[in-house]
Amino acid sequence: MISRRALELATAILTGGFGVAVVVQSLDNGIGWSSEGVESGTFPFLTGIIIIAGSLYNLARGIVPAGTLANVPIAITSIELRRLAGLFLPAAIFVAVIPLLGMYVASAVYIFAVLAVPEHQSVLRSAATAAATALALYVVFERMFQVSLPHGALAAALGF
Amino acid sequence: MDNLSELLHGFSIAVTVPHLVLMAVGVLLGILVGVLPGLGAPNGVSLLLPLTFGMQPVSAIILLSSMYWGALFGGSVTSILFNIPGEPSSVATTFDGYPMARDGRPTTALATAFGSAAFGALVGVILITFLASWVAQVALAFGPPEYFAVYFLAFASFVGMGGAAPIKTVVALAIGFAIAAIGIDTVSGSVRLTMGIDELVKGVNFVVAVMGLFGIGELLVAVEEEFHARAVSSRIDWAEVFRAVVRLPRHGVALLRSAAIGCWMGITPGGPTAASFMSYGIARRFSRRGRYFGTGEVEGIISPETADHAAGTSALLPMLSLGIPGSATAAVMMGGLMIWGLNPGPMLFVDQKDFVWGLIASMYVGNIVAVALVLLTVPVFAALMRIPFVVIAPLIVIICVVGAYSVSNSYLDVVMMLGFGIVGYLFKKLFYPLAPLVLAIVIGDKAEDAFRQSMLMSKGSLGIFFANKLVTCLVIAGIALLLLPLVLQLARPFRKSTSPTAEAPAQEKVII
Repeated sequence: MISRRALELATAILTGGFGVAVVVQSLDNGIGWSSEGVESGTFPFLTGIIIIAGSLYNLARGIVPAGTLANVPIAITSIELRRLAGLFLPAAIFVAVIPLLGMYVASAVYIFAVLAVPEHQSVLRSAATAAATALALYVVFERMFQVSLPHGALAAALGF
Repeated sequence: MDNLSELLHGFSIAVTVPHLVLMAVGVLLGILVGVLPGLGAPNGVSLLLPLTFGMQPVSAIILLSSMYWGALFGGSVTSILFNIPGEPSSVATTFDGYPMARDGRPTTALATAFGSAAFGALVGVILITFLASWVAQVALAFGPPEYFAVYFLAFASFVGMGGAAPIKTVVALAIGFAIAAIGIDTVSGSVRLTMGIDELVKGVNFVVAVMGLFGIGELLVAVEEEFHARAVSSRIDWAEVFRAVVRLPRHGVALLRSAAIGCWMGITPGGPTAASFMSYGIARRFSRRGRYFGTGEVEGIISPETADHAAGTSALLPMLSLGIPGSATAAVMMGGLMIWGLNPGPMLFVDQKDFVWGLIASMYVGNIVAVALVLLTVPVFAALMRIPFVVIAPLIVIICVVGAYSVSNSYLDVVMMLGFGIVGYLFKKLFYPLAPLVLAIVIGDKAEDAFRQSMLMSKGSLGIFFANKLVTCLVIAGIALLLLPLVLQLARPFRKSTSPTAEAPAQEKVII
């Protein structure tokens, strides 16, 4: 269970952290005025400062919840969290194995896994859906639009 | 009258067989992404973008804009039949559309929605027809300081009128600007903000951001709220369609008011979502039958639908004439314009007459095509909704992954897309607005260039933003909009005694 407050704080810290990174990086490019005009780091520097300032404000608002925040103390219940993880984790693993398996094999395995493992569909139907997805990707991209999707290290090792 | 002859010329471009086919294809694809939760108009348009590179710009924009109309209509279908808004901008349509459909009048609800949507779109196009060349003429007097002032005004209006918490809007905007700055700086040629990752030199493409923010982000929000696709009958009774459309003029006041709200919110970048909510809220307050709203009132469908489509259409006016998109989808289309080698802005009206007027004419025709197609295909797409979400969700993930990868054949883009997905989920959950973020990614570079060119002209003095009447007005209007939320907050203690303060939670719903 994650409270609205914790979520607000985490997001503010995330955005603030990005702001700090932007400010630090833009200092390398130089900020202020030079003979060639405004130096290239100036604009990012200013946006970074605005991000940090805004994030600090949101952080403060998150710590001291106003009336509207108090109405929804729980942002994500544990059931919702499980559903989120159920969607996101397989997707993240899918993306992670693309360089190894290639887009076609990875997406077929991904579809099969998310359909068959939680028993949303029978093994046979899951396999059919998975194969159809990979085939559709191949026909649409490789054949029709001549866009080459990654084939992966596995295909390279097998000599494709 | 000049505009009318240009428009006729435009029709001669738009009403050709290949373009009509493109419109039909675009509308059908649009309805598809509109119906599928998790895929929306911004995603759909960015997915199609790479396929348009080989086309004539005018054909490409007709395809993309038709897809936009289709998506707007498709979102309403699921709102009414399933109580699941396929698009954020059709959330308000569920309030009265679904109750009416559940009461056994689905055809009436759909026909009323499409009829009023078509009216809203028509008003939007007429507005564009008459204002486009005038706005462009004014804009011809623009130099870098004026451009920067207009961008400033656009961003300020998000903060002042977007409806989200102002500071959250500012943070979203600034993050967008920073993301736009990643990569090679166009003025000095130096590399910026790569965070030590060499591949980031090419910058972050907005398509990658859109796929993550709107695609994965929306999917995560959707999976959390368990779906109940409890459909009402989706059979269409054609006589009832006719009767519902004939009844529409009786609600003339609501139609005109909603169209006006929609056009205003489309031109100032409030966007269709805010427009539909605002229109619904105002209708509930002023309609004589206001207290029956939420139980299947006709005006409760007319108001959000008309405003939604009027805003969606008129959002293209500032995009074409000033290069400032009024909605996230318009921002994506503008990205396309730049890829096709066109420069959005007043010169477009001088150099690319065929393109501009072809597009405007296609908007008239495209909306008629959209109404016809959406009515014909309601049963087909309603059947699609019965496919369980667990099957559709991974397919949408794959579509987003492939979409992000195909932008520049880069695996890093796919990883970033997932990252944007988490950001999109968090932002949606906490009511940070996403449209300004996308807008800033698309036009951040242009705004920065305008600022730096102005600084070069003035040798570093900010006085150039107050050098003549035009730029001074724009800057002052922008500052006023920035300060508006602050003023309202200060004024609140004085108003509290008269008006109830139950608006805050309702307002939070508006920003999606």
